[in-house]
Amino acid sequence: MSQWLAHVIERAAAVDDWLSPVRAEALAKLKEQTWPGRRTEAWRYTSLHAVEDLSLATESSVQAEAPAIAGLDALDLVFVDGRLTTPLADLDLPEGLTIRALTDKSEAAEHVFTKVKPSHHLFGLVNDVLATQGVVIDVAQDAVIERPIRVVNFASDNVESHTRVLVSLGKNAKATVIEHGSGTGHSLNTAFAEYDIANEARLEHYRFALHQGDAIHVGGSHFKLANKSRLNSTLIGYGSQLTRLDVDIIHAGEHAHAKFNNAYLLAPKEHFDLHSTIEHAMPNGTTEENARGIIGDKAKAVFNGRIHIHRDAQKTLAELNNRNLLLSRGAQINTKPELEIYADDVQCAHGATVAEIDEEALYYLLTRGINKQMALVMLNFGFVQELVFDMPNKALADWLQPILKQRFEDMMERS
Amino acid sequence: MLTIKDLHARVEEKTIIKGLNLEIKPGEVHAIMGPNGAGKSTLGYVLSGREGYEVEQGEVTFNGANLLEMEVEERAQAGLFLAFQYPVEIPGVSNMEFMKESVNAMRKARGEDELSSAEFLKKAKAACKQVNLPLDFLKRGVNEGFSGGEKKRNEIMQLIMLEPKLAILDESDSGLDVDALQVVANGVNSQRDGKRSFIVVTHYQRLLDFIEPDYVHILAQGKIVKSGGPELAKEVEASGYAWLGQAQEGEEA
Ligand SMILES: Nc1ncnc2c1ncn2[C@@H]1O[C@H](COP(=O)(O)OP(=O)(O)O)[C@@H](O)[C@H]1O
Ligand SMILES: [Mg+2]
Repeated sequence: MSQWLAHVIERAAAVDDWLSPVRAEALAKLKEQTWPGRRTEAWRYTSLHAVEDLSLATESSVQAEAPAIAGLDALDLVFVDGRLTTPLADLDLPEGLTIRALTDKSEAAEHVFTKVKPSHHLFGLVNDVLATQGVVIDVAQDAVIERPIRVVNFASDNVESHTRVLVSLGKNAKATVIEHGSGTGHSLNTAFAEYDIANEARLEHYRFALHQGDAIHVGGSHFKLANKSRLNSTLIGYGSQLTRLDVDIIHAGEHAHAKFNNAYLLAPKEHFDLHSTIEHAMPNGTTEENARGIIGDKAKAVFNGRIHIHRDAQKTLAELNNRNLLLSRGAQINTKPELEIYADDVQCAHGATVAEIDEEALYYLLTRGINKQMALVMLNFGFVQELVFDMPNKALADWLQPILKQRFEDMMERS
Repeated sequence: MLTIKDLHARVEEKTIIKGLNLEIKPGEVHAIMGPNGAGKSTLGYVLSGREGYEVEQGEVTFNGANLLEMEVEERAQAGLFLAFQYPVEIPGVSNMEFMKESVNAMRKARGEDELSSAEFLKKAKAACKQVNLPLDFLKRGVNEGFSGGEKKRNEIMQLIMLEPKLAILDESDSGLDVDALQVVANGVNSQRDGKRSFIVVTHYQRLLDFIEPDYVHILAQGKIVKSGGPELAKEVEASGYAWLGQAQEGEEA
């Protein structure tokens, strides 16, 4: 047993708010969990050694601003070390959008909290019992919210924090939500988000997990898709001492479509672990997932892509593609496809490859006088950049592109 | 500018170019016509140095240098440009960064300073306008999702930006309507300055109405079987290549 987890359980007993009855159920489950080791499948390639006996402050008085993104006019909801610092009452919200603190009792929160996220995620349960701070974003039926909503999560130094995002999209509603996390200090942040997407609703989603250095970031984004709903999600991750993300996309209705692009760029010695699970529980759903990683020297990436097509999920179309580029012999990737198909009339493709250079593309660049080394840089970065170009929000793409390019160039230099 | 002597080249196990001779002087425009599969594209690939295209015999001199000893990018930096018959799509690289790297690589090779972002943008915008491509195309992936015509115009835009000494245009006219053809031809003509040379590979006389060649060559079965002035293109237009096949069969028999 980990001392840290024992502490979590102790602290959970002291949490007392309107969600306590639900938290109690999570706590019971948490108590049944054993601390993951190498034989725990979900943690096989990611050691939790750094968390085991971790003891950090549980609050801070650090002040921080939301990182500015040129051309992005977002509704910013800012957490600093787990504290919601944005006065929600001051927000000027468009019609059809309600934003509440998790501390305030609401039907929307009750409807979503622990109802989308599967209960087998250990740190999800930790978040269930400890995250008193959070936001509840409620989009009314038919409401089209053009202004992106950005949840900023900043972790400073020597602090542990737990935050929660609950999003409910009413029937035929449309919204964009950005989860933007960062921090370089020695910290532990769990950040879990649940999205309940009703019939015909459309969610554009981004998760930027840009923690670096000594930060420990464990979190998840979990989506439940009802009939004919649409999800377009992009996850961009750095590694840090330890970054672990779990994404669940659950087709709970028919004819839903999910697109999930994710890219991770790991500087030397960083660790990044993404477990994605696509659950096709109902017929006629489609999923397209592109996972691409560039891994620097002595860095380690773990990608576990699971597609589970239930017996009733006929006419499912699911594609998952994972490509990785290792920048040196010391770089490491553990990629594992997991296909479980119980319906017979489905189309499912799942591929994991180490990225290869497209010789024709290389030749084309060379004929334009670009030297080979630069051409390889362009093509190698290109395969991650392609996912950036694919982001529907151009302001976000324009902001990310040079940042990632710089990170990639630094990685090349140090590999 | 370019001298090709008795060139033999093969792709994989198959010899495609079989004893080709060609002399191009500064400022000249040479049209190369010929049936499908004659080896026109192969010639362009061999000259540009594509991997897998192996020279078995012969010499190629480009402005006094031995072209065949140079790397692909060195040939380009020395002023050789190939407009592809089938331009390549590179979704993860934007046209902007592609062109910027390329223009600056050429400038560096010529001993010139790199362009600033503003200078580059100005030049790129003008070139876009000249070939009728919308500006937002600069932000898109290289040739990604472009129509056939847009890809061809992109090649010409690169030609304009890179200012090569010798440009090989491989069927830059195929699949274009008359308006697009005009755009391509105008782009090429704008680069004719009496010093630059061009090899215009085409199937049809049509393009040569707009880009008037000094010489026309017929390439068949890996060599030039006939050369002449612009009137040769008109002959081909009227009679096709059937005579060629017979003549060659006769030759071989
Ligand atoms: N990669 C290749 N491997 C084998 N044969 C090839 C290859 N590329 C082209 N060829 C052959 O070389 C010949 C010339 O092709 P090409 O130069 O494309 O002709 P053109 O451009 O004149 O239509 C054709 O017979 C073609 O089938
Ligand atoms: Mg050809």
